[in-house]
Amino acid sequence: MSMKTVVVGGGPGGYVAAVRLAQLGAEVTVIEKRYIGGTCLNEGCIPTKVLLHTAELFATMEKESQSLGLKVEGISCDWEGLQKRKELVVTQLVNGVKTLFKSHGIKVIMGQASFTSENELVVKSSDGKKQIVEFDKAIVATGSAPVIAPIPGVESPGVITSNEALALAERPKSLAIIGGGVIGCEFANVYSDLGTEISIIEMLPNLIPNMDQTVVNVLRGRFERSGININTNSKVLAIRQVGDMTEVDAEGPNGPFTVSAEKVLLSIGRRPVTKGLGLEELGAKMDRGFIKVDKQMRTSVKNIYAIGDCNGGVLLAHTASSEGMVAADHIMNKNAGIDFATTPYCVYTKPELAGVGMTEKEATEKGYKVSTGVFPLNGNGKSIIMGEVDGIAKYVTDSKTGEVLGLHMAGPRATELIVEGALAVRLEATIDEITTTIHAHPTVGESLHEAAHAVHGNAIHVPNKKKK
Amino acid sequence: MAELIRLPKMGLTMEEGTIVEWFVEEGQEVKKGERFFEVATDKISNEIEAEFDTTLLKIIVTQDEDALVQAPIAIVGEAGEDYSALMADVGAAPSSSAPAEKEVEVETEAPAATRAPGEYVLASPLAKKTAKEKGVDLEMIEGSGPDGRVVEKDVLAAGNVKASPMAKIAAKEMGVNIASIQKDGRIMKDDVQKYYRNSRIEDLAEPSDDVQAMSRMRKVVAKRMTESWNTAPAVTYDISIDMTKLMAMKKDLKPFAKITYTDLIVKVLSRVLLKHKALNCSIEGNNIIERNYVNMGVAVATDTGLLVPVVKYSNIKSLGDISAEIKDLAEKGRTNQLGSDALQGGTFTVSNMGMYEVESFSPIINQPETAILGICGIKNTPVVNDAMEIEVKPLMKLCLTADHRVVDGAVAAIFLKDLKEHLENPAVLVI
Repeated sequence: MSMKTVVVGGGPGGYVAAVRLAQLGAEVTVIEKRYIGGTCLNEGCIPTKVLLHTAELFATMEKESQSLGLKVEGISCDWEGLQKRKELVVTQLVNGVKTLFKSHGIKVIMGQASFTSENELVVKSSDGKKQIVEFDKAIVATGSAPVIAPIPGVESPGVITSNEALALAERPKSLAIIGGGVIGCEFANVYSDLGTEISIIEMLPNLIPNMDQTVVNVLRGRFERSGININTNSKVLAIRQVGDMTEVDAEGPNGPFTVSAEKVLLSIGRRPVTKGLGLEELGAKMDRGFIKVDKQMRTSVKNIYAIGDCNGGVLLAHTASSEGMVAADHIMNKNAGIDFATTPYCVYTKPELAGVGMTEKEATEKGYKVSTGVFPLNGNGKSIIMGEVDGIAKYVTDSKTGEVLGLHMAGPRATELIVEGALAVRLEATIDEITTTIHAHPTVGESLHEAAHAVHGNAIHVPNKKKK
Repeated sequence: MAELIRLPKMGLTMEEGTIVEWFVEEGQEVKKGERFFEVATDKISNEIEAEFDTTLLKIIVTQDEDALVQAPIAIVGEAGEDYSALMADVGAAPSSSAPAEKEVEVETEAPAATRAPGEYVLASPLAKKTAKEKGVDLEMIEGSGPDGRVVEKDVLAAGNVKASPMAKIAAKEMGVNIASIQKDGRIMKDDVQKYYRNSRIEDLAEPSDDVQAMSRMRKVVAKRMTESWNTAPAVTYDISIDMTKLMAMKKDLKPFAKITYTDLIVKVLSRVLLKHKALNCSIEGNNIIERNYVNMGVAVATDTGLLVPVVKYSNIKSLGDISAEIKDLAEKGRTNQLGSDALQGGTFTVSNMGMYEVESFSPIINQPETAILGICGIKNTPVVNDAMEIEVKPLMKLCLTADHRVVDGAVAAIFLKDLKEHLENPAVLVI
């Protein structure tokens, strides 16, 4: 008899786990509350990248056409058309997942799941109908939602989260962004490129605090040059609706200030969606709403696993997918593991930011004697051709052994190129393996080769600073 | 083409395995995915499937024989094929099942050299050249030649190790020979560190096995215990005693005499045993010797070992006399002043482990007696009383070991029940 499995949540964690389970011979049912594809496909990774792509093209045409040898006249953003394109891309990808389900014989039930025992759950559909689903093993992949912080006035009509920011009826003329993390920065980039006046208010000393600050500063510099008003070390005190405008009172290093904008985007983090699942009643150990799991993604309730954002590890789609594979393999008695040290962090702004492994700060804090190799993209041919020289490549290595501890990058294609660093970390490569690998010319990727050489102070395409 | 089947490595630390069974006979075909043979190690046993369609030509390591990992265990190929060339190779292959051959090997095989860092490495010119070509560090190789000389095949073996760059660096730093790490797949830094820690664990533990001759007393105890174990088909019976009244009695007696539980139990036992002669007798040849008296042995732990002094005719002694005598005997036992007379003539023995909070044990009969009573600690225990309520009672377990040659189960049970009634109602002592 085949293993009867249920996956609760059809996002990037859940659908990958479901397909994997089916591949390994399990009988699979996916329960989805709202839409197949989850946050990633419907209101996260994918739609933001659609907006970013068009915004970037628009900004390039509008601001750089002359330098690129193009004559562009009368270019404007068709906001409605862009929204339609976004829907189209999302629909195409969602249908892709549905096709995957169908081809693997995966059953889908739409509704809210609630566990009643370690072998049974109840699905309540939107019409109130209830259905009992039995299982041998279940994977919870219910994801996360934007955090609404208890700031006075947070209920003002002008306050939105990333969900609404993706589907505004029209582009706002001004936007205040509370929280300068990955989500905040990506929206800042989209709307700034399209002509919206942007202010970012961030509590910590810099934007995107979890990434290597050298690469973050490249983005910050470009944001500042493009007129984005960045307020770091600033705490939001209150929000207030004044007619069509929304005002944000904050306090920064230079005292209190007020930002007024048509919309205020709240992007201060995400919270787990685990309420109503009935897991706590079954004795699942939780941590501030996140479901606690072990290395095999098992919760403290027998037969039930949890993957992705809802378990509170790294809140990234690709991590959720990898965790889904781990859980599915474990359920089907396959010995598989994922090296989570290889998790890449990507920001799809212009310049793109990407990082894998340890940042310079993390490595130093862990006690490594760190050697870094940094190469600026203004010495890279392809970046100059593309007109995108805002950027650097930076290898973080252990000076004792040469071990590659991390790779961090800002610049065009950074999110694609980071895979070199991920592979280096996975294979425990030293910087010598990078320097002795031939990198194609002319590519942005050459900069990684140069950054590797720079660890020993031997980059070719930088002026010699060593004194003779 | 004929080829060798080698003993698979089934785990990180597996070095050799035993062929449990061949599922295919010589000359028989086996299809990919079919059961081929079964291998066992000290930890696991695995059925191995054929990896391709073939015919089993020759079994080299037969059922129940051992082989080293990667040693040839069989030859497969097309039916009727000539595999003599492979057999010639196999002659030199390591197989722990061929002891004669192995002994010879041991004699000729030079002990692996352990070198200090920077020490000159004895190596053949070809080994040096190959090492240079392959980027293998000669220092890290254990040579198999005379005086630990590194020869080409050692370099090749070391060069074939699949390891991450960091694993190689870590191995060099820690002085670990990476070729000696057994793993399926790529050796990572972690594997080297684990190997190093494991190899260091013995240094850290500094294990020492100290050989000491047995004392005379230990020899006696050992001999007597073994004799009893081998002589008596013994059964141990446990029973719980409600100590409420006996505890009260001990407390009441306290102003007059310091009476122990052992004293009280010996007193009660001496009386009860007279009614249950089977438990107070001994076997001599085909005869059973029954008695109308009780000589009660009381086990005493001393620094040098176990002693069992005897309270003679305890059935006619008062509680006070018994108490004083046990105290005296125990003290003499501990200070090595007991005459052999005090250790002889016992008809029954008690062994009290109550002070150590032991909850149950199975004492060994003191030969030639037929039974021994183990006394356990008193423990407050929830019990269901006659009114079906839960009540906390001080319970004490008694563990009676009896020789089934004389004492049948029912006899032992009736004795225990009688003893229980007496201990739970110590007022009978005054009757």
